[in-house]
Amino acid sequence: MEAPRVAESPKTGNSFGTRFKKGFKEYRVAYLFILPTFLFMILVHIFPMIQGIVMSFLKLNQFTLSQYLNAPFAGVKNYFDLLFNESNPVRQGLGFALRNTAIYSVVVTVSVMVIGLLVAMLLNRDFPGRGIARAAMLLPWVVPSYVVGVLWGFMWQKEGIINHILVDILHVMADKPFWLIGQNTIWAIIIPTVWRSWPFIMVVFLAGLQTIPDDLYEAAKIDGAGRLRQFFTITLPMLKPVIAVQLLFQIINNVYSYNIVAMMFGNGSGYPGEWGDLLMTALTRQTFGYWSFGVGAAASFILMGAMLVVVGIWYRIFRSELRAE
Amino acid sequence: MSTRVKKKIEYHSLNVLTWLIVALVVFPIFWMVKVSLHTNGEILQGITSLSIPRPQWLNYKNLWETINFGQYFKNSLIICFSTMVVSCFLAILAGYALARYKFPGSDLFGISVIGTQMIPGIMFLLPIYLLFLKIKDLFGIPMVDTYWGMILVYSAFYTPMSIWIIRSFFVSIPKDLEESARIDGCNRIQAFVKVILPLSLPGIIAMCVYIFLTAWDELMFAWVLTTTPEVQTIPVGIRLFVGQYTNRYDLLMSAASVVTLPVIIVFFLSQKYFISGMTAGAVKG
Repeated sequence: MEAPRVAESPKTGNSFGTRFKKGFKEYRVAYLFILPTFLFMILVHIFPMIQGIVMSFLKLNQFTLSQYLNAPFAGVKNYFDLLFNESNPVRQGLGFALRNTAIYSVVVTVSVMVIGLLVAMLLNRDFPGRGIARAAMLLPWVVPSYVVGVLWGFMWQKEGIINHILVDILHVMADKPFWLIGQNTIWAIIIPTVWRSWPFIMVVFLAGLQTIPDDLYEAAKIDGAGRLRQFFTITLPMLKPVIAVQLLFQIINNVYSYNIVAMMFGNGSGYPGEWGDLLMTALTRQTFGYWSFGVGAAASFILMGAMLVVVGIWYRIFRSELRAE
Repeated sequence: MSTRVKKKIEYHSLNVLTWLIVALVVFPIFWMVKVSLHTNGEILQGITSLSIPRPQWLNYKNLWETINFGQYFKNSLIICFSTMVVSCFLAILAGYALARYKFPGSDLFGISVIGTQMIPGIMFLLPIYLLFLKIKDLFGIPMVDTYWGMILVYSAFYTPMSIWIIRSFFVSIPKDLEESARIDGCNRIQAFVKVILPLSLPGIIAMCVYIFLTAWDELMFAWVLTTTPEVQTIPVGIRLFVGQYTNRYDLLMSAASVVTLPVIIVFFLSQKYFISGMTAGAVKG
């Protein structure tokens, strides 16, 4: 009777000890694996971000830049200037940029998702040359965005190819409009962005569509559900997790969009105008142009806070979808 | 019978629609290559016809000579390729750790990896520039105007999304495979190298293409962190074709084509892996 008890007690003690040790050992590997990334993130993301936040409370301009973080403390003056002081140079045209960014982000995100989904459904059929069509449609996505800006800027010119097609060939418009001046500019920046962004969404949706079992559609057909009904009761709900993830990345990318607009107008040195300027291009140009780094940092910090709110709302809406995965 | 005819009409009209979309989508790229084959004079007069009367292949030679485009091209290749190697390595390690272990802090780490994407670039553009100057002051290591400075920044930028891509790929590989390899006498590292890595090759290729494409595309930090042609990348150099003193649309378009075509070739070669690798992550979350 004695022997098994003795044999048992060290065993349980052992198993707890080994489990603890094993756990620690396993975690050690995990920590070791994330360590380099963690250090990189500290050095390039977190440390500079904290500096940016500190900067937003300092009086940082061409005279105090050499002191950097020892520059005079300004309290919330940068924030106040940004929000209420009409004469602050960084504020110039920021209202336009904000409006344009809102229109741009919403229109691009919605168009990209809708076009992506519709074309994915178009490609999710059997027809000759399907692979070629899919590959060809993906081409814009590999074109560097600075080339997109340069190329479309060229095509939008008054005597350019787009006006030629619209006016001389299709006769959609009576006169050749200016695309890069005035209110049309918002379309001149939205369309190239959509052109470059939708193919990737399409491919992701296509992969998502292929994971939906055919039985579901068969069963719906037997129950007498029409195509539209099938779309809303099967396709859309099944794709919801994919849509959720792509939606988030689209929103972030579009709000922070910079390259296409910057390159389209004067190769990064021009002013895109009241209807072409975005938050990123405006903030970069004004903070560096006026050496107003404190106010620029304050603006970035507010923008980041606003984006966190957007992500929070997104998470609330799609929480159940993300958990189900 | 009538439903069959209807179906046939629908099938063919959808095909026509598909190929119309393909034509519309590819047209701007075709236009870029076409314009690059004209003289600057023709371009400034306005090009509207589809034909190319006298293809100016010389543009593709002149573009390397008018400005030192080869140097920018080389810089971009070096920086992007090194970034790809570094980011890929870091992301495989971290992605594997996140996919296989639930360690204290793993959720927080996972969230902050995605959280880094929330920070607007302009927020740390100046701090990084000043940090680079500080590093030179304190340690005597130049960071601005160097390859490694750019590689460091880019690697740190593109590692988070890469972790996200490769993590979901690792998750989709059954744990049993690894465990059976360990029963067969492999240790954890051997199991990882011999079983997991080969299986996740499509994911790794997708991730590498993603990193390379995104780094190839970056311009805001390149504009600020490099000031000499010895290290500046293509987006900085390409601006020289059209600007204050020159207006060489012919060379600009041929440079744009030269920059785009290699990426398209790489993409087509890796397409099979790339699409499956990229979408595996995106679909499974």
